[in-house]
Amino acid sequence: METQSQVAVRRGLKLSGPVRGVLVFALLYLFLVGVKLLESGIEGLGSGFTDTLFQGVSNPLAGLFVGILATVLVQSSSVTTSTIVGLVGTGVLPVAQAVPMIMGANIGTTVTNTIVSLGHIRQSEEFKRAFTAATMHDFFNIIAVAVLLPLELMTRAISGLARLITETIAGGVGGGSFDSPIKGAVKWGASWIEDLLGWVNSDKVAAAFLLIIGVALIFLTLTFITKNMRVLVADRIERSLNAALSKSGTVGIIVGLLVTMAVQSSSITTSILIPLVASGILLVRNAYPITLGANIGTTVTALLAALGTGAIDGLTIAVTHTVFNVLGILLIYPWKKIRYLPVTLAGKLADIAIRRKSLAVGYTLTMFVAIPLAGILILR
Amino acid sequence: MVFDFFKGGQSTIEEVEKTLVAMMQNARQNYEEAMDAVFGGGKSKSTKKGLKKTDREINLAQQQVRRDLMMHASVSPTMDLAETLAYMSVVKDVERVGDYAKNLYDLAKFGADFTTAEDFEYLARYRDCIGKLIDDAIEVFRARDPEGARELIAEADKYFSEFDDNVKAAFNSDGPASDAVARTLYFRFLKRITAHVMNLLTSLVAPIHRLDYYDEAKDDRVEL
Repeated sequence: METQSQVAVRRGLKLSGPVRGVLVFALLYLFLVGVKLLESGIEGLGSGFTDTLFQGVSNPLAGLFVGILATVLVQSSSVTTSTIVGLVGTGVLPVAQAVPMIMGANIGTTVTNTIVSLGHIRQSEEFKRAFTAATMHDFFNIIAVAVLLPLELMTRAISGLARLITETIAGGVGGGSFDSPIKGAVKWGASWIEDLLGWVNSDKVAAAFLLIIGVALIFLTLTFITKNMRVLVADRIERSLNAALSKSGTVGIIVGLLVTMAVQSSSITTSILIPLVASGILLVRNAYPITLGANIGTTVTALLAALGTGAIDGLTIAVTHTVFNVLGILLIYPWKKIRYLPVTLAGKLADIAIRRKSLAVGYTLTMFVAIPLAGILILR
Repeated sequence: MVFDFFKGGQSTIEEVEKTLVAMMQNARQNYEEAMDAVFGGGKSKSTKKGLKKTDREINLAQQQVRRDLMMHASVSPTMDLAETLAYMSVVKDVERVGDYAKNLYDLAKFGADFTTAEDFEYLARYRDCIGKLIDDAIEVFRARDPEGARELIAEADKYFSEFDDNVKAAFNSDGPASDAVARTLYFRFLKRITAHVMNLLTSLVAPIHRLDYYDEAKDDRVEL
């Protein structure tokens, strides 16, 4: 006999697997077209506009806060990082300025699972586990940024390593472009949409339209890619998470990486973990490496966006995102004495939060809205 | 293991259905061994050990089903929602069938032996009928056959009043107390086993909010 979902597919109420797969490829193509349109729009608006736009983020801390706030607003680091890749690809946003924004996106993306954990607030024991699992991701990313951002600002070590990797893989130098296999196809789709705007008399207005369409396409396509992929690989996610239930370490990191690469969203991966941890099926310590793997997995979206732009700098910032997350893990996870520091800190915060639950809501608002907003206003 | 991600395979719901069938088969095995003890075999260490081992397997499978369903609900909250909730409920019924089989063995452990009963064949007939009912329920559930489930539920319905009549007769009998207690518990356990097996089958035909009401009075039951 069929399950409900199989019946729904047969009756045409639900898409079958192959149809969904084709749809994901189409959405992926539109996503890349969106990044290209964003580039075209920014270029069309001219240097005066972009100089004003990015004047405020020349301060690295302001850039960090912009990354956090932008990601909190769109609830997706993939959207933020892909947009940053597009901006860096045009040359209007230098790699050096984009690095703190990328790091901010890493912190901002953890808001989703923190919000999910608040759903368990009525059951103290469940909430303690859920809130610990959610905020250990916050603490991990904050510690990684606290160590690696100053290092990057002083030595440019992270972006330097990323540039070395990029130039080795793609050839060419900063400011130039590389032969991307999909660049031509993406350009064709983007120029088709640009031609549709032929009726607009002003170049600046047309550029503004392209910018808006580009951002909207990035946002919408990533939303639908995530939704479809989640359905498409649901059984595989369940199987691999089952494999990681009683295991810690590398297995968890690989599972987190694979699941996040598949659904193109670390928020989805980490949010799935929250009810599992809350119900006690998954231990916080076993969820921890999965979360770290999700940090690396989510960088794939920006790498895809960079392939669409074909710009060396765009690829460099995307690789910087990956390098930053890998270094973050190497900085904390291999060392026994500090490995579980984020988990311990999150546990202590959860202890406080279950005594005064309003503090949990207060923490979320302060950490993800008030501090970044105040930081941007003060530092810009 | 981790690379299971790249392999195809059954959906979680299909896996759970397979596990439920395996649990029922284990419960059926326990039922048979317990009945052998009550109908002449008596208590034995090997039977006790076998029942305990199988019961443990049933309990572990129940926990696995719950874990799998929780995982499924976390990853795909709206997919197969009705099945997820129904199986979370009926897995307890399947586990209870195994428990009551163990309780039947306890009758033999306490000294009950129906081989000496005058109405041995009458008592044995119920053993066979409920055994066959469990076998048929396993097949109907395996095939996810709603029509078969309805037929089986209607068949099982007849037994309930018979079980109650037998309990009443044992209660009013002038025979030895040990015999009355043994008969009362025998028919009581059979009634519970039948009710739990039917609860499993209602998951194929009844709306989710009406599961578990199978052994209620007829007026309180859902129209199947």
